[in-house]
Amino acid sequence: MLATYLQVLVSGLAIGGVYALIALSFSITFTTTKTLNFAQGEFIGVGAFLGVTVLYLVSGEGSFAALAPAAAGGARYPLAAAVVGAVLGALGILLFLAAIRPFAGKPGMSWVMSTIGFGIILQSLGLAVWGPAPVNMPSPFGDDVMRLAGAGVRPQEILVLAVAVVLMAALDLLMRRTRLGKAMRAVAHNPQVAALMGINVAAVMLGAFALSSALAGVGGLLVAPIASASLFMGMGIALKAFSGAIMGGLDNPRGCIFGGFALGLLEAGVALWEAQWREIVIFLLIILVLAIRPNGLFGARALDKV
Amino acid sequence: MLQLDAVHIAYGPIQAVADATIAVEPGQIVAIVGANGAGKSTLLKAIAGLVPLAAGGIRFEGRDIAALPAHRRVAAGIALSPEGRQVFPDQTVRDNLELGAYSRRLGQADLARAMAAQYELFPRLRERQDQPAVTLSGGEQQMLAIARALMGEPRLLLLDEPSLGLAPLIIREIFGIITALRARGVTVLLVEQMANLALGVADRAYVLETGRVTLEGSGAELLQHPRVRAAYLGGGH
Ligand SMILES: Nc1ncnc2c1ncn2[C@@H]1O[C@H](COP(=O)(O)OP(=O)(O)O)[C@@H](O)[C@H]1O
Ligand SMILES: [Mg+2]
Repeated sequence: MLATYLQVLVSGLAIGGVYALIALSFSITFTTTKTLNFAQGEFIGVGAFLGVTVLYLVSGEGSFAALAPAAAGGARYPLAAAVVGAVLGALGILLFLAAIRPFAGKPGMSWVMSTIGFGIILQSLGLAVWGPAPVNMPSPFGDDVMRLAGAGVRPQEILVLAVAVVLMAALDLLMRRTRLGKAMRAVAHNPQVAALMGINVAAVMLGAFALSSALAGVGGLLVAPIASASLFMGMGIALKAFSGAIMGGLDNPRGCIFGGFALGLLEAGVALWEAQWREIVIFLLIILVLAIRPNGLFGARALDKV
Repeated sequence: MLQLDAVHIAYGPIQAVADATIAVEPGQIVAIVGANGAGKSTLLKAIAGLVPLAAGGIRFEGRDIAALPAHRRVAAGIALSPEGRQVFPDQTVRDNLELGAYSRRLGQADLARAMAAQYELFPRLRERQDQPAVTLSGGEQQMLAIARALMGEPRLLLLDEPSLGLAPLIIREIFGIITALRARGVTVLLVEQMANLALGVADRAYVLETGRVTLEGSGAELLQHPRVRAAYLGGGH
């Protein structure tokens, strides 16, 4: 029994770590530009496939659709992560220039449509290049289930959790301690006043989209070995992560991380009893939380009223 | 030092400033007074680069800066302490000051020295340096806003309603600092609704009415001007 709970805890934390990472990526663009990338789901899928492609090209092990376990070994997985981060970061800049900047700060919500459209185009291009079939991505630490106090734990779950936590801690430090982070927080609070400090607001916004998109890509690369990589896998993840962000408070990075982890744990916990109730319970809970606290659990606007 | 030449500024169809010609000489305190909605803040925002000119010219130290974006004007030597203070509430006093020096790219030692100079001028900020700005009193936030602007080491300091919502004692303290800054060679362009205070310290002053300059002269002249006394000083004094 204890082993079962432990198993739920580990897999909940692992998928929760991915939700938290993606929730944070939503928060990064929302706080700095008051806009969101609704193509984040496609960015996750493209990140995963790009990762598989890099592993395939540098290792030459197995076929594209079924990479041999050794393909992800050594420095290849970190290399894939670096390539995915860089390419998706560039894609985020392209998205900002093409789909956000023409509409940001103007009345209406054209950027919602334009980012969704950007995602659809990206997915279609991905399908043309990689085809619709899901592919298996090996974990760098192998796919053999480890025994941990009787619970079956996959090495990738530990890796996902560890990488997510390290990335989030690094970002938290960046935002609070570095000159750049303080400038990003200043832009998030008020772009005009930030400009008065000599901060190049447009550059910070561009950087926010690059960072947010890179996180989505790396998130895709992290989950791919747990599920299987598919160009469609990102939608569900992005939706859950977005829900986690809304629940924790979109304008509070730490709240977003909490929301992401909470959702992952809840999902794993509910699935233990009745897998088919999972989605129903989760989204009912989100609706309930928002009914009580419209700005999320840790949203800042609730503070303003005090 | 600063010349505004027949400046027009509009928000869409709303004309906020019309045909304003204003000159600021180095080493002076120049005041712009006028009622709420006269266009005073708009004028300062245009000088800081936050709103574009619809027509007219702007020169700073002889250089045309109309096309210079706001974030580059700080490095050029212009800093604005905006209306309503606008400190970054969840960042500490120290971080607010650090942001004020953002464009100078100072190393740790120079940054510490620049902050120490501000704490010298505003000793209360030193006591509060590790507190989030939101926990400061209104007067302390105003001091922080001015100190933050000074961190950019401006040659021209723009102050938008530094007395807003403050108690008389604090207002006197802040105006004391403004005159001290002039003595140190910082040129100040001061916007105020409290005309008597502003005209009292100003070397030169302008009266702005619905976006137009209607009077100009030395601070002392305008203090005595019958129209100013009737409109802004309540006739008394
Ligand atoms: N962002 C804005 N959008 C539209 N109109 C504005 C904006 N800011 C100011 N105004 C208008 O411009 C005029 C001048 O405002 P402002 O410069 O704030 O005056 P003051 O600082 O003298 O009180 C007012 O009529 C005001 O309503
Ligand atoms: Mg004003």
